Amino acid sequence: MDGLAKYLLRRAADRAAVLFVALTLQFALLRVLPYYVLGIDPSFFFMNPNLTNEQRELIRRAFGLDEPLHVQFAKYVLALFTGNLGYSFYTRRPVMAELAERLPNTVILLGASTLLTLLIGLTLGLLLAMKRGTRFDTTFIGVSVLINSFPTFYLGLLLLLVFGFYLKWFPLAGSVSRPPPSDPVLYIADYLWHMTLPLLTLVTAGVGGYALLSRNIFITQMGEDYIVTARAKGLDERTIMVKHVLRNVLPPVITIVALALPGIVSGAVITETVFSWYGVGRWLFEASTQFDYPVVQGVLFIEILLTVVSLYIADIVIAIVDPRVRLR
Amino acid sequence: MKQPRLAAGEAGAFARILGILKTLLKHKRGAFGFTVLSVFVIIAVFADVIAPHKPDEIDLAEGYAVPAWFKAFPQYRNLPENVEVVAEGRGWSVKCEGLTPLVSRNAVVLTVNGSRRLTATLERSFEYPYSPPKGFYGALTYNVTVWGAPGSSARIRLYLDAPGGGSYLLYDSGSIATNVSRTGAPVTFDARDAPLKLALGFSLYDDLGEKLFSAKGTYKLRVVVYLNAAGGGGVSVAVGRLYFRIRGLAYGLLGTDNLGADIFSNLIYGTRVSLLVGILASSVSVSLGLIVGIVAGYKGGVVDQVLMFFTDTLMFIPLIPLLVAVSVFVGKSLYLTILLIALFSWMGFARNCRAYVMSLRDRLFVEAARALGASDAYIIFRHILPQLSPIVYVTLVLNVPGAILLEASLSFLNLGDPSVPSWGRMLYNARYSGAFSRLMWWWILPPGIMITLLAMSFVLIGQALDEILNPKLRARRLT
Repeated sequence: MDGLAKYLLRRAADRAAVLFVALTLQFALLRVLPYYVLGIDPSFFFMNPNLTNEQRELIRRAFGLDEPLHVQFAKYVLALFTGNLGYSFYTRRPVMAELAERLPNTVILLGASTLLTLLIGLTLGLLLAMKRGTRFDTTFIGVSVLINSFPTFYLGLLLLLVFGFYLKWFPLAGSVSRPPPSDPVLYIADYLWHMTLPLLTLVTAGVGGYALLSRNIFITQMGEDYIVTARAKGLDERTIMVKHVLRNVLPPVITIVALALPGIVSGAVITETVFSWYGVGRWLFEASTQFDYPVVQGVLFIEILLTVVSLYIADIVIAIVDPRVRLR
Repeated sequence: MKQPRLAAGEAGAFARILGILKTLLKHKRGAFGFTVLSVFVIIAVFADVIAPHKPDEIDLAEGYAVPAWFKAFPQYRNLPENVEVVAEGRGWSVKCEGLTPLVSRNAVVLTVNGSRRLTATLERSFEYPYSPPKGFYGALTYNVTVWGAPGSSARIRLYLDAPGGGSYLLYDSGSIATNVSRTGAPVTFDARDAPLKLALGFSLYDDLGEKLFSAKGTYKLRVVVYLNAAGGGGVSVAVGRLYFRIRGLAYGLLGTDNLGADIFSNLIYGTRVSLLVGILASSVSVSLGLIVGIVAGYKGGVVDQVLMFFTDTLMFIPLIPLLVAVSVFVGKSLYLTILLIALFSWMGFARNCRAYVMSLRDRLFVEAARALGASDAYIIFRHILPQLSPIVYVTLVLNVPGAILLEASLSFLNLGDPSVPSWGRMLYNARYSGAFSRLMWWWILPPGIMITLLAMSFVLIGQALDEILNPKLRARRLT
C-alpha cells in the first residue's frame, strides 16, 4: 500500500503542475499577450468611452488593473483557489453563481456522452477484434475514416437539419423547454428530449476512434503468449476473453480514455454552441466574443480543473487495476 | 552543411518522392485519396476560372435564391431569373410634341428655349415571363442644364407601367432649377427602400417586386421629362442610361446566400483557404514537433524532462476552449489562425519523434560517427534526420485533416478571418441567417461535404504512405 500512496502522491504533484502551467499559459495568452502586443487590457472592453481619464483610473483601480501583471497573476491564482472567480462584466453577477447554474448541464451531457461512447466503442472494438479481417471489420474501418473526417459541428448541424428542422422530432435549441414543465417526471423527459441530438452528435463523433483503438489493443493482447497458454490449457473462449484478455486490456484502455478527456471537454464547446445547450462550453464561447474576461478565465479554469481531476481519477483507477504502475 | 551537398540531397529527395508517389498510386485507397486531393488542388489553382464570381460579390440575385437548375422541376418552373433592362440613347422610344430630341448612342438630349412648357416621354418595353419576384433595383443617369434668366426648371419622373393598367412612380426628381449632373452618381431606387414602399401605398412588410410584377406580360419603363423654360432662358435635359434589374429567385449552380452572393463561387474559393490552412499549419506543426522531438530525444536528461513536461501539459489542456478564447484577439487574420492551430498541434509528433530519436541515438552507426569526432549537428543532420524522413512525411500528411477541421470549426464559430471565404464561414452564415429553417440543403450540404472529402483524402493518403514507408508497422498491425 505504501507503493500505491507514493505513486498517487507523485501523480498528484504531476497533475497539479499541469494545472499550474495551463493556468499560466491561459493568463499569458489572454492577458499578457494582448497587453504587450496590442496594448489593451480588459478594461478597454467595458469602459464607457465618454469617461474622463480620472474616472477610468478609478475603475481600473477598482478592478485591480493598475497593478503590474505579475501581481495581478498572483492575486488571480490565489482568488481562484478560494473559489472567487470575480464578476461578469456583462451580467454583473458572480461568475461562480452563473457557473453553478450551467455546470450541471455540461457535466450531465459530457458524462452521458463519455459513458455511452466508451461502452459502445469498447464493445465494437472487441467485436471487431474477434472478427478481424472479415468484411464487417474492413467496412467499419472505412466508415470510421469517413466519420473521423467529419467535423463534429457539421455532424451536429446535419442532425439538427434533419431531425430538428425537417422532421421536427427534436427541439432546435436549449436544454429545456420554456417555460419548463413543473412535473418532475415530465421535466426529466423534456430534458432528455433536448439532450438527444447533442448526445447523439458527441457519441457518433467519438465512437469510431475508441472502437479502432480498442480493436488494436485487443488484437495485440490476443496474440500474447499467455493467451496461447490459456488456450493450450483447454479454457473456453469466453473465459479467456473475460478473465484474461479484458483484465489486461483495461490499463491501456483507461490510458486512452484519460488522454481523450481534454478532447471531450473541447468538443463540448462546439456541440453546445450548435445546439444552444445551456452549458459551460457555450458560455465560454459567448463570453469570449464579448471579451467578458472574468467569465472566460473562470470557465477556462473550471474546464482545465475538470480535465486534471478526471486525469487524476484515471490515475487512481489504473493504479488499482494494474499494480505494475506503482513500481514505476 | 555545404551548399552542393544539400543540392544533391534535394535531387535525391525528389527522385525518392516520385518513387513513393508511384507506389502510392498502386495502393488502392492511397490512389483514391490522391485522386480526390488532385481534384481539390485543381479546383484551388483554377478557382478564378471555375468560379463565375469573386467571393465578395454580393447582390447577384435576390438573397436565398434557389439553384437555377431547380427550374427543371415543375414546382419551380416559373421562378424568376434575373431580368435586366438597359435603356440608353437609341434604345428609348421617344415621344414628344413641339421639339426634336437629339438622340445619340448613349443619350437623349431635350432642349427648350424661350417661354415654353413641354413634356417628353421616353419609353422602353420588356417582357416579364415569370412568377412574381421579390425585389428589383434600378439606376438612372441624367444631366440638367439651365441657362439665361432664372425661372427655368425641369423635372424627371420614372414610371413602371404594368400590363394590367397600373402605373407606379419609381422616381421623381422634383423640380430642378439649377445645373445638376447625375452622370457620375446615378440616382438609384430599390424595392427594399422603405420610403418607396410607403410612397407607392404599400406597407413596409410588402415585397414591392411581388406587388408590381404580379402578372406575366409586357411591362413598360417610362421616363417623363417636364421642361419649363422661362423668359429668355432655356433648359436642357440629357437622359443617360437607365439600368433596371429584377432580382431573380433562381440563380447559379447552388443559389445565393442571404446577401445574394453566389454560393457555388464561395464553395470554389473555400478550397484555397482549407488547403492553405491544412498544408501550412501541418508544416509548421511538424517542424515544431521535429525540433522538440530531436532536441529532447538526442539530449536526454533534464532538457528531455522539461520539454516532455511541456509537451504533455499542452496535450492535457483542453485546447479548443483556449483556442476559442484566444482567437477572439488574433483570429481576424488567417495567418495568425494558422499559426495558432500549428502551435497547439505539434505535441503528438514531438513525442513520436523523441521516442524514435532515442532508439537511434545509441545505435552503432551513431556511436561510430561520434567516435570519429562528428559534432552533434552533423550526427543529427546526416544520420538521424534521414532516418526520420518516413515518419515526417506521414505526419505531414496526417496532420492536415486536423488543421482543416479545426479551422472550419473556428470559422463556424465566427472566429476566423471575416474577409476569407472559408467553408466554415459559409456554414456559420447558413446557421445564423436562417438557411436551416428554410431547409436550404443546397447551401448547407456542399461545404460540409467538401470539408469531409478533403480531410478524408489526406487521411487515406497518410495511411497508405504509412503502410508504404513503414512496412514493419504494417506487419505488426496485422498480427
